[in-house]
Amino acid sequence: MNNTIRLLIVLALFSLAVSGCRSAIATTTEVVAVQAKTVPAAPTDAAWNNAPEHPAKLLLQDLVEPRVMKASTAEVRVRAITNGTEVAFRLEWDDPTKNDVPGPARFMDACAVQVPAKLEANVPDPQMGGQGKTVEITYWRADWQASVDGRPDSLKEIYPNASINGYPFEANSLEKGSAAQQEMATRYAPARAVGNRRVGAREASVEDLIADGPGTLSPAPPAGSKGKGAKSDKGWSVVITRKLPNGLAPGVRTQVAFAVWEGAHNETGARKMRTGWVPLLMKGAEAK
Amino acid sequence: MARVHNWQLGREMSYWYPESRPNKQFAAVFDTNKCIACQTCTLACKTTWTSGVGQEYMLWNNVETKPYGFYPLAWDLKLLEMLDGQKWSEKEYEGQKLHTYEGQTIFESAPAGERVLGWRPEDQDYAYPNVGEDDCSGQVDGGASYSLQHMAQHMAWFYYLARICNHCTYPACLASCPRGSIYKRPEDGIVLVDQSRCRGYQECVKGCPYKKVFFNSMTGTSEKCIACFPKIEQGIQPQCFENCIGKIRLAGFINTPDKAQADNPIDYLVHIRKVALPLFPQLGLEPNVYYIPPIHVPHSFTKQMFGPGVDDAVKTYRNAPNDPDLQGLLALFGSSEQMMTRWRRQGDFVSGMKDDGSEVVRVPIKEPVHVRQPYDRLYQITRTNCP
Repeated sequence: MNNTIRLLIVLALFSLAVSGCRSAIATTTEVVAVQAKTVPAAPTDAAWNNAPEHPAKLLLQDLVEPRVMKASTAEVRVRAITNGTEVAFRLEWDDPTKNDVPGPARFMDACAVQVPAKLEANVPDPQMGGQGKTVEITYWRADWQASVDGRPDSLKEIYPNASINGYPFEANSLEKGSAAQQEMATRYAPARAVGNRRVGAREASVEDLIADGPGTLSPAPPAGSKGKGAKSDKGWSVVITRKLPNGLAPGVRTQVAFAVWEGAHNETGARKMRTGWVPLLMKGAEAK
Repeated sequence: MARVHNWQLGREMSYWYPESRPNKQFAAVFDTNKCIACQTCTLACKTTWTSGVGQEYMLWNNVETKPYGFYPLAWDLKLLEMLDGQKWSEKEYEGQKLHTYEGQTIFESAPAGERVLGWRPEDQDYAYPNVGEDDCSGQVDGGASYSLQHMAQHMAWFYYLARICNHCTYPACLASCPRGSIYKRPEDGIVLVDQSRCRGYQECVKGCPYKKVFFNSMTGTSEKCIACFPKIEQGIQPQCFENCIGKIRLAGFINTPDKAQADNPIDYLVHIRKVALPLFPQLGLEPNVYYIPPIHVPHSFTKQMFGPGVDDAVKTYRNAPNDPDLQGLLALFGSSEQMMTRWRRQGDFVSGMKDDGSEVVRVPIKEPVHVRQPYDRLYQITRTNCP
């Protein structure tokens, strides 16, 4: 073997080693939200390259039943950008399967960002907060993303071969689009009738929630949070944008926690992979 | 887990919440011997409650053909396989047989990390409602009769099992829901899913052993039989009861055995005559729909399904023609759409009454028999009965 070939082999091995690790990406031990004029809405926006990445290890939700007993998603890679009024988090995780079609025994890929409702030294329990220690949660779900991206609100989207004779709201006696027809349609859709829109047409792929402990999750007043998720062969890349948590300003530190649900592992509700609190630094001034 | 008393097991058991019995408990008795699987109950329910988009597959009421029929597929077999040794012990006390369940309930055998032992059907499991489950698969004259000797290797019997939500005293759906979206009404014990609180986790679908909670893909929440509570609130029996042409059903309220009232029709059939038995009591939910077991089915099968009281229940039921009270009360089934929470027999008639004692209906225990002559002299025509 001559020297040229030897050199080529050494160079090839070296480049393999470099590409095998992620040393090219700056990682941090906390989530650092960098300042920008605008927060990027799309997960592919080049602006994300300016934010350092925090690889957050995901833990089993094994504190309250029903628990997750077998680990699925190992980590979520988080970047954050703030414009002083809003903060956007980009969550990325490996997931070979896309789970965004609801149905019996089918569960959706999802993720969430959690922050304490108040800035105080004594932080709430990272697992959904506790009594009097409220947490704010912004939750994104893959099927909601599909709806926002244009998937029609139709059973045919779930069961393309479904054959249905008819529904009461399609009766000839009911004028199309009339209040009477609407009433007939919601009569057989109790959750929709009471405004609990878990699926169907929607304007945002996220919802704002608050919790005071496990099992207390409830809707928060609309806060205008936004979400945008995109699936690649490798996994999900989701941007969750929300207004700055109460009292949070550039230079201030708080805590943030993340959760990821892998639909293919039947993860839903309490069955999830989650982080503990991760320090969140809003860049812009010295940390207090 | 709390310790609660389950009288159907004859012992205390573990449950997710402490014992909290409602002021009244909705209950029902279904006489399996009368059911012809016409599915009128199923359609009465379907047209009333589940005709919406996303509810197509839902059968809050269904009638399946046992032992081969299921809705959803193998709902009972799958759980029974998971549940270890379902043994009962028996002892005599003051002339009464007392049965105690020595096995584990689905609450007591919950795996680590779970609230109950359960499994979750997939959508394909709902693809087989009872359409021709009881059809003979061949020509009768070709030997496909159930009663022929050479068919002995197959079970030469079947019966119909009509099922609704059991509105259990210890609901597994309620115990399974991590966010308390399911509640049991204190006024009548009816178990409901709060449609404004449900987030569609489907834990209840997994937890309910009877698989009577269904996920609605188009609302994203789970839905279940509501025992037609708007009707019950007005003193009227639910749709599947009112429309049952076989008159197999009677709705009412049940007391615990220590407070059993002989003039309460459900108490009388369940506690006093012990002719109506719970469905899979060993699971531990204290279900409140009681079945008069089929009398022509091997008891080894019905004992697993209805518990150790089957022998006595069948014996009592077979003797009904010589038992005016029991025969009388059975004649009350399907005699009125009104709820009849009290009853009494007077001679050859039986009355159903409301709580205040006012009579709802009075029916003869035996209908008079009219024999129609084949030749009708009035119209000068010969009539024959259809086969």
